[in-house]
Amino acid sequence: MTNEVATSLYNKLADEFEMRRKAPAHAAERSLEGLRQEAFDDFKTKGFPSIKEEDWRFTSLVPFLDADYNLNIVNGDENSLADAVKKAAIPELDAYRLVLVNGSIHIGLSRLPNQDMASIVSLKSISGSEFYREQLSTFNRTEGNTLTALNSAFFTDGFYLEVKKDVSLDKPLEIIHIYTAPENAFFQPRHLLVINRNAKAEVIENSIVLHDKKRVFVNSVSEFIIKENGQLSHYDIQSNTAGERWLQYNHITQQRGSRYDNFTFSLPGADLIRNNLEVRLNDTATETHLYGLYLVAGNQLTDNHTSIEHRHPSCKSNEMYKGVLMDNGKAVFNGKVFVKREAQQTNAFQQNNNLLLSDKAQVYAKPQLEIFADDVKCSHGCTVGQFNPDSLFYLQSRGIGEIAAKKMLVEAFMFDVTEKISNHAVKQYVQELIYLKMGNTAASAN
Amino acid sequence: MLTIKNLHARIGEKEILKGIDLQVNAGEVHAIMGPNGSGKSSLAAVLAGRENYEVTEGEVWLDGKNLLDMKPEDRAREGVFLAFQYPIEIPGVSNINFLKTALSEIRDYRQLPPLTAKEFLKLTKEKQQLVEFDAKLANRSLNEGFSGGEKKRNEVFQLAMLEPKLAVMDETDSGLDIDALRIVSNGVNKLRSEKNAFVLITHYQRLLEYIVPDFVHVLYNGRIVRSGNKELALELEEKGYDWLKEELKVRESSIQ
Repeated sequence: MTNEVATSLYNKLADEFEMRRKAPAHAAERSLEGLRQEAFDDFKTKGFPSIKEEDWRFTSLVPFLDADYNLNIVNGDENSLADAVKKAAIPELDAYRLVLVNGSIHIGLSRLPNQDMASIVSLKSISGSEFYREQLSTFNRTEGNTLTALNSAFFTDGFYLEVKKDVSLDKPLEIIHIYTAPENAFFQPRHLLVINRNAKAEVIENSIVLHDKKRVFVNSVSEFIIKENGQLSHYDIQSNTAGERWLQYNHITQQRGSRYDNFTFSLPGADLIRNNLEVRLNDTATETHLYGLYLVAGNQLTDNHTSIEHRHPSCKSNEMYKGVLMDNGKAVFNGKVFVKREAQQTNAFQQNNNLLLSDKAQVYAKPQLEIFADDVKCSHGCTVGQFNPDSLFYLQSRGIGEIAAKKMLVEAFMFDVTEKISNHAVKQYVQELIYLKMGNTAASAN
Repeated sequence: MLTIKNLHARIGEKEILKGIDLQVNAGEVHAIMGPNGSGKSSLAAVLAGRENYEVTEGEVWLDGKNLLDMKPEDRAREGVFLAFQYPIEIPGVSNINFLKTALSEIRDYRQLPPLTAKEFLKLTKEKQQLVEFDAKLANRSLNEGFSGGEKKRNEVFQLAMLEPKLAVMDETDSGLDIDALRIVSNGVNKLRSEKNAFVLITHYQRLLEYIVPDFVHVLYNGRIVRSGNKELALELEEKGYDWLKEELKVRESSIQ
């Protein structure tokens, strides 16, 4: 154990694990027993990540572990759930809908696509299968960190979504994650999404936590497998409220000729957002686009760690993350791009730009390219800057007020990313959220 | 309309304006000329409220309102317009959105009802025609990809859209070819009225052949050293500024 503060949570987790181990388990759980134990032992030895580890240098979890979290919250209050869906749903988005409550599928609130196109079932219902055991075992052996190990040891449910071969989902799928926390709560959902050969889908994730100034810790792990020539557009909107701590590990595996587009929008509100976005290119001729926007305000800490691993020839990856820092906000960007010796004819581009709007805001940016092949095109760029005073003055000199002018310039700064959002409703929604959240901050600053 | 009294301003420790007095009435066009570094552009910037200038002394009044107390956006809303010598490119801010926002904030301040989308479009078209500015504005970022001439013409177009009382044009003629100069000047001439006034900052007499001023002032070393009518501009063109500088030296030494 590496730090004192987390001791009580650490002990609580150990007790809980022991209790679950002793409880009479159903068949599915028994088949995972060994893997759970290995994963927990792994976590137990290493403890929560500490700032002594390179990947956590600027993100100390200590302040966020210091609450008495309930590890076993299951049910939400039915009445409030429908309202939560309404609140979280993106207006004017014509989409299928998958609602999860505390990590489990809520059929009544969902609007799922036809079974011929996609199957969506609870992870619980497949976690005992040989297929899933193999999946989990491989992941634990080769990927992740101590937090994903903790998730592997504890997760109970999530969704398993499979888009059938050759199917293009006719509408996007909106996934709304609802968590209910009548008291401080710790959630560890686990999801798996498979895009089969030649299949195509667009998935939009959004989340909402029902709580009254409680501390809520979500440690989620999602795996995405995109098979040959499959395509997935994946939006993730992180617009949460104070008290919430989000640790999210998204792991993507791409097969030959597949394409993955990710948009991660991290907005002010939550105390902590830590995203790990890990992309493994397992065959040739893949295409990957990672776009990120982070708007950080208050005392928020937003940390994006991305990693793209080129293991085969002729793959293309493109990454653009833009951050706007306000108040005492702190952001971390770490973009790893690995190009292995075999991965010739790789095209890999990365860009990270940061706009600091406050004297107290901080950003720690680290592009990290490790290239072992010689016939490649790779580039990266990273900037940290402020408003151009000439631009601001130009707008003001035309009668545009200072706050409106600043908002315009922030919008302009983010334009490179927002223009890439092909879903109009999502674009509209995200731009409005940015505008709103910036306005709140501007107003509270005065 | 505009009254400037004993205006002093500096950047950092350097005093740039050293006591400017100027009276501009509605319906008038004033030209301000002068050698490089005399403070012409600084005067324009101070009038528009640029932050890096510190006014150390003097007053500026626009129709009875103290301009120096106002933020740049409020000066614009009160009717001051600065046509920039180097218009700024802002990638990601669309021309149309920019104009719409500016116009609606100005109208709101003047307690005019907001324009509908249709009215706005119509106005845009009319004014584009008026100032012969045919660049496509839709789906383009503010001034981005515009040629030097287009940028200047966009300034005149914005002027037409925002209908200020007082337009200060900072070397709008610089970098324009003869055709563009004629178009820009035609635009300004069409916008001239009994209710507004123009201050043209220029190096060259050429602009004043197209836009005929009522008064010409020579700014030198932070002060207006000579004022006259349009003949003064011709005299300057012929003799250059050295003649004035010499005269000033003689006068200053004789005072001492």
